[in-house]
Amino acid sequence: MAALLRSARALNLSASPLLQIKRTSNHRQTISRFYSRTVGGRGIGVCSRQIISGSFNVKSLSPCSSAWPCSGTRYYGTPAEQKVVARDEPSLGVRNKQSHQFDWALAKLDSSVRRTGRVTKSLLQRIFHDICRTGYPSGNQALLLLRSCGSLLPELPLAERTEFAHHIWGKLLELGAAYDVSHYNALLKVYLQNEFKFSPTEFLAKMEAANVQPNRVTYQRLIAAYCQVGDIEGASKVLGFMKSKDLPITEAVFNSLVTGHSRAGDMESAVNILSVMRGTGIDPGPDTYLALLVAYAEKGDMDKIKETLNQVENTDISLMDRDLMQVVFTLTVAGHQQHVPEVLEHLRHDGGFVPDAMNLCLSLITQGHESTAFMLLKTFPSVQADSQNSNGPDVGNFFLRHCVNTNKSPEELVGFCKGLMDSNLHAAPMQFTLYCALEAKKMAPAIEVMKTMKEEGLPIRPHYFWPLLAQHKRDQNTAGTLEVLKAMQELSTEPDIDTYCNYVLRTFPSVDSARTALAVLGCMVPHWSFLGLSAVSSPSLPAIDIGVFRGNLIAAYFLLVHVCTGNLVPPRPENMAYFLYHLFDGMSETEVQAKEEVLREYLQQLHKKGICIPVNIYRGIRNILDSHHVPELIKVPLLCNCYTELNQEVASSSHTCLPSLPAGCSHSRVQQRTALIFKRLISAVCAEENLPRALELKAEHEDKMSPSCYALLINLCCRHDNPEEALNLKRELARMDSEATLDVNKYMSLLRVLSKHNRLEVDILKEMKEKDVVVKDTAVVLLFHTFSAVALRGDVAALRRLQDTTFALGLAKPTSNLCSPMVTMYLEKGDFAGALEAVMECETQYHQLPRIHDVLCGIVKKGDTELLQKAMDFVSQQRGEMTVLYDLFFAFLQTGRYREARKIIETPGLRAKPGRLQWYAEKCIGSNQMEALETMVDLTAKLFECDRDEMYHYLLCLCKDTNDWSKAEAVWTKMQEENVIPRERTLRLLADIFKTNNQEVPFEVPEVKQPSSVTAFSSVAYAVLYTSRSSAEAYNVLKEAERLGKALVPACYDALIKALLSSGSMEDAMAVKDIKQTCLSLSFPDALASLKTMLQMDQVPSQLALTRLVQGLGNHGDIKGIQEVASLIKSLSPSLNMSSMLFVNNMALAHIKNGDLERALEDLESLYTQTADHSQQSIAFVFRKVVEAHNDEAFDKLRTMAERLCHQFASYKPATDLFLQCLDTGRVEEARQLLQVASLRQRLRPFSISRGAAQTCRIKNLLELIPDFAEKELVYAYMMKCHAMDKNLEAAKALYRRMQAEGLQMNELSLKRLAQLYKKAGEPVPFEEPPETFKFYADKLKASTLPSPEDD
Amino acid sequence: MSAPGKKVFELFVSKIPWTLGTKEVKEYFGQFGHVRKCLLPFDKGTGFHKGFCWIGYTTEEGLHNALHKDPHVVEGSKLQVQQNMMPFTWRRMDKEAEES
Repeated sequence: MAALLRSARALNLSASPLLQIKRTSNHRQTISRFYSRTVGGRGIGVCSRQIISGSFNVKSLSPCSSAWPCSGTRYYGTPAEQKVVARDEPSLGVRNKQSHQFDWALAKLDSSVRRTGRVTKSLLQRIFHDICRTGYPSGNQALLLLRSCGSLLPELPLAERTEFAHHIWGKLLELGAAYDVSHYNALLKVYLQNEFKFSPTEFLAKMEAANVQPNRVTYQRLIAAYCQVGDIEGASKVLGFMKSKDLPITEAVFNSLVTGHSRAGDMESAVNILSVMRGTGIDPGPDTYLALLVAYAEKGDMDKIKETLNQVENTDISLMDRDLMQVVFTLTVAGHQQHVPEVLEHLRHDGGFVPDAMNLCLSLITQGHESTAFMLLKTFPSVQADSQNSNGPDVGNFFLRHCVNTNKSPEELVGFCKGLMDSNLHAAPMQFTLYCALEAKKMAPAIEVMKTMKEEGLPIRPHYFWPLLAQHKRDQNTAGTLEVLKAMQELSTEPDIDTYCNYVLRTFPSVDSARTALAVLGCMVPHWSFLGLSAVSSPSLPAIDIGVFRGNLIAAYFLLVHVCTGNLVPPRPENMAYFLYHLFDGMSETEVQAKEEVLREYLQQLHKKGICIPVNIYRGIRNILDSHHVPELIKVPLLCNCYTELNQEVASSSHTCLPSLPAGCSHSRVQQRTALIFKRLISAVCAEENLPRALELKAEHEDKMSPSCYALLINLCCRHDNPEEALNLKRELARMDSEATLDVNKYMSLLRVLSKHNRLEVDILKEMKEKDVVVKDTAVVLLFHTFSAVALRGDVAALRRLQDTTFALGLAKPTSNLCSPMVTMYLEKGDFAGALEAVMECETQYHQLPRIHDVLCGIVKKGDTELLQKAMDFVSQQRGEMTVLYDLFFAFLQTGRYREARKIIETPGLRAKPGRLQWYAEKCIGSNQMEALETMVDLTAKLFECDRDEMYHYLLCLCKDTNDWSKAEAVWTKMQEENVIPRERTLRLLADIFKTNNQEVPFEVPEVKQPSSVTAFSSVAYAVLYTSRSSAEAYNVLKEAERLGKALVPACYDALIKALLSSGSMEDAMAVKDIKQTCLSLSFPDALASLKTMLQMDQVPSQLALTRLVQGLGNHGDIKGIQEVASLIKSLSPSLNMSSMLFVNNMALAHIKNGDLERALEDLESLYTQTADHSQQSIAFVFRKVVEAHNDEAFDKLRTMAERLCHQFASYKPATDLFLQCLDTGRVEEARQLLQVASLRQRLRPFSISRGAAQTCRIKNLLELIPDFAEKELVYAYMMKCHAMDKNLEAAKALYRRMQAEGLQMNELSLKRLAQLYKKAGEPVPFEEPPETFKFYADKLKASTLPSPEDD
Repeated sequence: MSAPGKKVFELFVSKIPWTLGTKEVKEYFGQFGHVRKCLLPFDKGTGFHKGFCWIGYTTEEGLHNALHKDPHVVEGSKLQVQQNMMPFTWRRMDKEAEES
């Protein structure tokens, strides 16, 4: 291809005079020729916009000129290069972790693009820098970066953008990024957007050399590139080539040709393209008209523009504001500004107007057309000063900032400020402009703006100059400092003490030099301000506000640290955290970065000394370090510990919401063996579905019938559709045991049978209510089937009675699904008016719109406009216009009325509703409707805030289901055409489709971290168990795991056993128990082996998995195993944040298990006697395990040890832990003894109780033992939390009274909890409920307890 | 409670526009009572203040006057004013030491 184009170039050169004359006809022929052979040109619908902007120098139009600079292609790597670049890859595991770190950054970039349609250079640079620093960019990271270098950077000049793109391209290549066709296409797009002139031939040659096959999008963009310079010949060559390859010619190609002809000076041909398009079956779209409008705009032909706009209005195409802005841009750049106001009148100010207009303003300013930009700015909607925020309007901040950044003259800046004030768009534009200038450290505009402000009578304050001085201070630029001081004099602003102390004097090398220099200026420096400088060296200072000197002192302290890193801990270690916070806060970004190593060393020293930092201060430090871009420092152990603690906090709070396990089995009640045998017999007969035999048995052994036997029989009767017998049995059961309750599923089958025979079902519902039977999960499905069955019979009255009773009794919530049978009934009959009535009734009664989609589809199909109008009016009134629009959109899509669907989705102001789109997409995927889904994806291309990757992901999901790889490939090409960056999961899905069809994957597949098989299977089993409550399915998962030789986490087995028992599958339960035993007893050696393999394969095991493993080994007394694990992960431990106590504790437990109690005690004791600090060392785990195992001997010895540690070594931690453990397990007596013997009373800190879960008994015990506990308010707060969790209003009320009696203040969070309890119970709240959210008060509380000391 | 001189009447003020300096903030809050201290921290690296400050009154009355006024608008910007619930560490520690 490249070769072909090269020859074309040569040909073009020689024949150019000739061709120029007959260009039009020649070209027309080309087009008709290839179009006669294109079939179904519309095959691929969405065409991205090839927005071609900017002025064009006609002289440079000559094709193939040497004007193509080579620099453009310099950066492509050949395959040889790609391979040669040494990739000293670190292990895959580490690489995986690194890639995760960037995800947030990329997400940030992505969201910026989605929200505002632009990115800032600094954000892009920061992410690029981060990726470079850590290396190993993935394919789509590279794609995202590259794509961002075009029109997404309106604040950067065009040339600079391309330069940045090339820089990124080269750098990432060096780092080992693998480029595929999507990258080359993205680069082409950037070239087009930046109007970068390059040689398409060379571009293709480079692709060829890199062994990357160009695709349809590549050719389309090359055509656009030729057309951008008016080279129709070049474009035609590529076209011919596309044709020979049977590639579909889409609208985008024609749009490029419109531009191409117009730039070649041939408007007639340009206009003609539209009819050529129609001739080939493609209707000109909005982009076609835009290309035409832009062409006229370049010529400044306002009449034609107006004519075209009118023409568009007569079609069903609508141009968006964004399109008109393109026209405005072109008019301006081509020097026809005078026409701009006329175009501006056509703007509709719809959905995304503001971000688009902002981007246009920025582009115009960047290219030196700020006066037009200002014209546009004035059309911005003026934001009304809302009551919440009485600050004046501030439209145009972005404008002023960009003007400052692009160095517009001070006069212009002042002019814009005055303009903004006059039109009431901005209350304080001068101040804001000054702020921008100061932020950018631009002295000249800053001073000029201040001069104007002074003239306007606005105050000029000394601290306005500080940002300028701060810069000079950093650079030690005395000349600059003096210049600023001079300016201050000119503006008659007297520098104050802070100005001198903090900024001026510290710029000078010595006090004397400062004095002399300032004297020359005639500054009267108060002599005592020099004290600020000398503060560091002389400690005997007069008492001045310490705040002034804090910065100096900390800096000085740090210098000392620098000199003698070693034994430097402030006298009060508890203040260390604050000191560190202020230290980091006081240092500038560059300072921290420069001293990163020293700081790291210092932090490590502190860590060794056992300094620890409270979590909330850690948060603050982390934020500072983040903002200083030294995230590495956070990973120092000292800070790391806090990090894990923070994570645990989050984890434990989410843990408490886990659903509780199914209730225990009822088998234990069956005591008599005969009864058991009889029940087995009954269930066996029931399993055989032998109703007569079962009833016979019952008659024979009336005395042995237990409630569960009755339940089985009733269920059997229901299955056999025998309501009479079922009711008889039920009555007998009630006589035998009036308390006996059937489970919900049996009630449901009973209900189904009764309603089928139209009998008494309301009574059953009432009984369920009385007996508190809850209908949820699978039972709801059964209920739905019952309703549907009635609906199927067409019995409106029965269905209504059933539904109304169920909902009125509150047995089940009226969901859309449960309400739907009523609607279904009418739909089945084709009675859409009736169906609509039913829907409307549901909405008024239960606020549900069941099956509205199907109803609308039916109406649309029937073409009943009146009914449709009625439906729309109703839904619109109930749910708002947005809901109606989506409902209609989907109904039109479903019925194949795509034109109407397009009209709907193009409604101005409509924005993407991800949930609704997902609903329809999943519906299409479920019912294999490719066409409807594809159309939806096409039509939503320009929908405001639509997540494009998500849309294409749906398409690929369907491709995956149908296993259609060629369709998938087309989808991928389309994504490139639309410039969409696929997320990793999309790429993986795509790769998966290719692979299953034995196709080569044309891009680098992102790596995926394999979860450990144990957790994977366990979580699957859990998920199955909890979501479907189907023990049988979970059992299948388990069997599968067993077949593969994988073990699950023990808790999972237990949950499953319970579930199986409660559903009566005794045998399965026993089988699971066996599996559990064999698996778990086998699994530890296996687990150890798999850990080794994992490490060899460079996978990083999860912290949880390791913890479990070590605990398991400890449980089995496997000391060697623990040692082995410890040595295995030694190298990994810094990155894993493993607690050293894990190994210590489990070693001790292993010793205890092996009967070597002495050894265990020895080890534990040495822990507390030999190391200096032990606040972080907790052996609570050992205590807990010993207590749980009822190992009294070990418990006693441990207790003695803890007491000894208290008395002899003043080490109270073990005793405290043991005390709390006793409280937890209800060993109040032991706790009391411990309290007395170890004199723990004063040692207990609120900190320690807050650590444990909030448990009522624990707190009650604590209060009982220590009635004079110091932090009563805190304890009460925890009690309130417990009561709230138990929903115990009475206890909570009592607590409130008690606190009032004791004269204690209840905090807002507790009050809020109490108020909620009152509300839930339906009682009035007898005090004023705190108005904010729970989170607000929780945060507030956290903030106020922030400095709680953690000594001992 | 500790000695009366130790008692603090502090405001925490946020959303302070950059144009206001220590002097202006102190002047504004001076209208409600005598201001004993006004701490408006500046970032020495950038030269801008951080947008929040602490105001300490000598009397409870000053504090209450300030809290009762709403909204606080200075030079067109609305300040967010609340009682300072986050006393400094050393103060808290002193208090604890005295109590035990």
